[in-house]
Amino acid sequence: MSTVLPPLDRALLEEAADLLMRLQSGEHPQAAEQAIAQWRQRSDRHEYAWQCAERVIHSFRQVPREIGRTTLSRLPQSERRRVLQMLGIAAVAGPLGLALWREQPWAEWSADLQTATGEQRTYTLADGTRLVLNTASAVNVSFDGTQRHLHLLRGEIMVTTGDDSLRRPFRVSSADGSIRPIGTRYAVRLEHGATHVAVFEGAVEITTRHGRSLRLAAGEQLRFSADVLESTHALDANAGLWERGMLLAQDMRLADWVAEIGRYRRGVLRCSGSIAELRVAGAFPLTDTEAALDMLTKTRPVRVRRLSNYWVSLDTAT
Amino acid sequence: MSAGDIIQTNDIESLYSGHHGWLQGWLRRKLGCDEQAADLAQDTFMRLFGRRALTLDQPRALLTHIAKGLVIDHWRRQEVERAYLEALANMPEPHAPSAETRYLILESLYRIEAMLRGMPDKTREVFLRAQMDGLTYAEIAEESGMALITVKRHMKAGFVACMAALA
Repeated sequence: MSTVLPPLDRALLEEAADLLMRLQSGEHPQAAEQAIAQWRQRSDRHEYAWQCAERVIHSFRQVPREIGRTTLSRLPQSERRRVLQMLGIAAVAGPLGLALWREQPWAEWSADLQTATGEQRTYTLADGTRLVLNTASAVNVSFDGTQRHLHLLRGEIMVTTGDDSLRRPFRVSSADGSIRPIGTRYAVRLEHGATHVAVFEGAVEITTRHGRSLRLAAGEQLRFSADVLESTHALDANAGLWERGMLLAQDMRLADWVAEIGRYRRGVLRCSGSIAELRVAGAFPLTDTEAALDMLTKTRPVRVRRLSNYWVSLDTAT
Repeated sequence: MSAGDIIQTNDIESLYSGHHGWLQGWLRRKLGCDEQAADLAQDTFMRLFGRRALTLDQPRALLTHIAKGLVIDHWRRQEVERAYLEALANMPEPHAPSAETRYLILESLYRIEAMLRGMPDKTREVFLRAQMDGLTYAEIAEESGMALITVKRHMKAGFVACMAALA
């Protein structure tokens, strides 16, 4: 392999920075050049540090000012946020209330199964269990001789448990607790600081991390956190339609609609406060959120403003 | 360098044959593309073999650690490329640099993005005023109302961060 590069310590970089600034000041250019030439000769590390310094200057010289400025201005919002998202690091909850990712950053990253934003995937596991990952979701799968275990790190899954020939117990867990199915189809979704469960067939038994437990039957849904089991509600008939790539809205608040569609898009989708309470109805495609936005603007007095493809906000149509 | 500092050839072979397929599968799940997965799997092994003083108790943990870095780089480059193409498309005057010029500019932009990443906002702005917009330190001081010495302090911090990112 190529030679191992000498490590550069901070003191060395600061000296190089001083020289760069001296060069850039334009005063006594010859003396500056001479000082640099001497400095470089002091050791291999000095020489290497100066090569780095030259690459810095060179990189900026290559890029026309306008292009550089515009490119950079298009980066920070989406780029920084996306890298954070990729790393699963909790973004600082700003005024937009960006989703918070709980859990350990690297765990999510190296999850066994995951989907990107806007993507859905269906898997059949070794025991015949059907697992659908909704948008921006991540799951670890561990099946061994004694258990079948899914750990939801992010997003939402729909599980239809298979009949295991080895009769190993099946369990889905999240940071908030665990869910044991009893011959069933159900969805588990991580929300801000809680886990939401909806049962479509059969039943499940929920145990929170702090040991409270409850049985949830088909047609029921509830939220729970590590220590609280919220009350049970009847399941919205359309709740499972995401599995088929559809959002069916009936008298839905626009703010809720935006939050839901936003889960399937990269970047930021928001709506102004003045239209948050508008009601939305219709069937919207989750697989094509641009089409969904298009449908919305055709049926409601709403206008789409694009600051960039990654920053879209909805406002009153004028 | 002692014998324990480098990986032996037979280690390399067994590592490669034992984990390459698995790593490529892992990368395919991350990237959703066979070709990119194959490339990055190759790069990951090249980096692994370039390392000294490896402990190989958990080769897969180390491989994923390296591969993650490469995947993040890969995505960042895609973001920069996207932003660059958008910037080109949005130039007031038609702007169609040659393929070679585009390549050089893009490579520089990748580096610039890496250098600026993690720089505090104020330092970044002062630094860009000088390096990208071509203002003198005195002009930046006057424009921003900062003392000249403060501008210089930001410039120095900026240069140090840039060099550290490239080193």
